[in-house]
Amino acid sequence: MEERKPILEIKHLSKSFGKNLVLKDIDFEVYPGDITCIIGASGSGKSTLLRCINLLETPTGGEIIHDGQNVLERHVNVPAYRAKVGMVFQSFNLFNNMTVLKNCMVGCEKVLKESREKAYEKAIFYLEKVGMAPYINAKPKQLSGGQKQRVAIARALAMEPEVLLFDEPTSALDPQMVGEVLEVMRSLAKEGLTMLIVTHEMAFARDVTNQVVFMADGVICEQGTPEEIFVNPKKEQTREFLSRFMNK
Amino acid sequence: MLPPDFLGRLLFLLDRYGVSLLQGAGRTLIIAIIGTVIGCLIGFVVGIIQTIPVSKNDNMFKKIILKIVRIILAIYVEVFRGTPMMVQAMFIYYGSLQYLGVDMTMWAAAIFIVSINTGAYMAETVRGGILSIDRGQTEGAAAIGMNHFTTMVYVVLPQALRNIMPQIGNNLIINIKDTCVLSVISVVELFFVSKGIAGAYYTYFETFTLTMVIYLIMTVVCSRLLMLLERKMDGPDTYDLATTDTLAHTSGMMSYSAKKGGR
Ligand SMILES: Nc1ncnc2c1ncn2[C@@H]1O[C@H](COP(=O)(O)OP(=O)(O)OP(=O)(O)O)[C@@H](O)[C@H]1O
Ligand SMILES: [Mg+2]
Repeated sequence: MEERKPILEIKHLSKSFGKNLVLKDIDFEVYPGDITCIIGASGSGKSTLLRCINLLETPTGGEIIHDGQNVLERHVNVPAYRAKVGMVFQSFNLFNNMTVLKNCMVGCEKVLKESREKAYEKAIFYLEKVGMAPYINAKPKQLSGGQKQRVAIARALAMEPEVLLFDEPTSALDPQMVGEVLEVMRSLAKEGLTMLIVTHEMAFARDVTNQVVFMADGVICEQGTPEEIFVNPKKEQTREFLSRFMNK
Repeated sequence: MLPPDFLGRLLFLLDRYGVSLLQGAGRTLIIAIIGTVIGCLIGFVVGIIQTIPVSKNDNMFKKIILKIVRIILAIYVEVFRGTPMMVQAMFIYYGSLQYLGVDMTMWAAAIFIVSINTGAYMAETVRGGILSIDRGQTEGAAAIGMNHFTTMVYVVLPQALRNIMPQIGNNLIINIKDTCVLSVISVVELFFVSKGIAGAYYTYFETFTLTMVIYLIMTVVCSRLLMLLERKMDGPDTYDLATTDTLAHTSGMMSYSAKKGGR
């Protein structure tokens, strides 16, 4: 158990926008197969943290260690790193000029340099996994929100990333579509995909994850197993946050 | 010899000079179309260079080169947007003749001037088109490991091109009309031909009635064709659902067929 190496080690990570210090001294690790949930109030820096991990934002301090390498160093090949750390966005961000199929193939073809046939097979494989294979000919604007998000997940999966980041994947969805996306994520969890999920779906966080990170005002306020956080929170702030959420 | 009534004169002119007018119209169209296409290519190159992101980590050399190129391009855009094409035509044609010893052919001069002029306009349009693409698109591309170049080629530019199609059409229409200023350097396009015909029998009104109609036909047909092209770029409004049956044979990608269904 002790010999497992983390996929990602976040060390003393900080980020400021101008004078606004948004992340302070963030420390945590993601091991293979881990399903980590990041919860916290709006504005606590959850999205910023995910975006820093994917280098969509440049952290202002600290380290992100991947494969024993700090990816914040100058000479690091950022696109190659991003290909291994997938991301699913709240607003889907599917390519509007491509069909569902092309959306899932383009990364394999143009980034991983795989053959067209291989890319096609992978795209279909992962689209089937999320139940969107029948829609390969559709354009994103012809799909519902839940369908778009499932395609976005398939697109990320087709890259076969080591870890997949989710930033509030269900927040832009109507209630009846939330379920279909969470269902897909549950099945990915069962298959052992390493995931780092920002969500407000507390039931999902409690049932599916094995590590919960509670953030408040740019710092990790409390961190532990779902039981530790949801059943026996140690910090007053955590308790307050959870009670507000559970009452909703 | 010359019929006394308006209609008779039109027919007379058509009979006598119809072929010359059509030749002139053909030249106008060719210059306008080629000029617009090359102008768009110039516009894309300039627009793309103007939107290359520079990060703090880039080396000094790249930053300086980019800066110099951008200044030159900005000057190009300002100069050619800020002066009349008719003046540019005189300036370039006689300048190259007297000081560079280059005697441009009619075609070369015409196409060069229209292209470079259109390029200056399109540069700004393309830049705007690129900047108008939602940041989510580039972030989506970045998240699957695409670099700037790949993102531009497969994600941003196709969408930008689609969005600026109306402006490209606009430029084509403008070019069809504005090639007439090239008559100052004796490019034998529709206006130049018309002037010659009108002078021969002193039939200015009749000749330019025909010329008006020909210009109008060219511009209307072109704008309709471009609209069709836009519609084609958008793809079908509906999609076919693929059946599990067809998907089972994933190896035969090229022979893949979708069954009718969907909405
Ligand atoms: N590009 C930016 N420039 C300046 N400030 C920013 C930027 N992005 C985020 N912030 C600030 O950083 C803080 C954290 O924002 P962030 O989006 O990470 O919060 P969050 O926890 O994801 O909230 P939510 O639950 O609403 O999504 C906020 O105060 C926000 O105003
Ligand atoms: Mg957020």
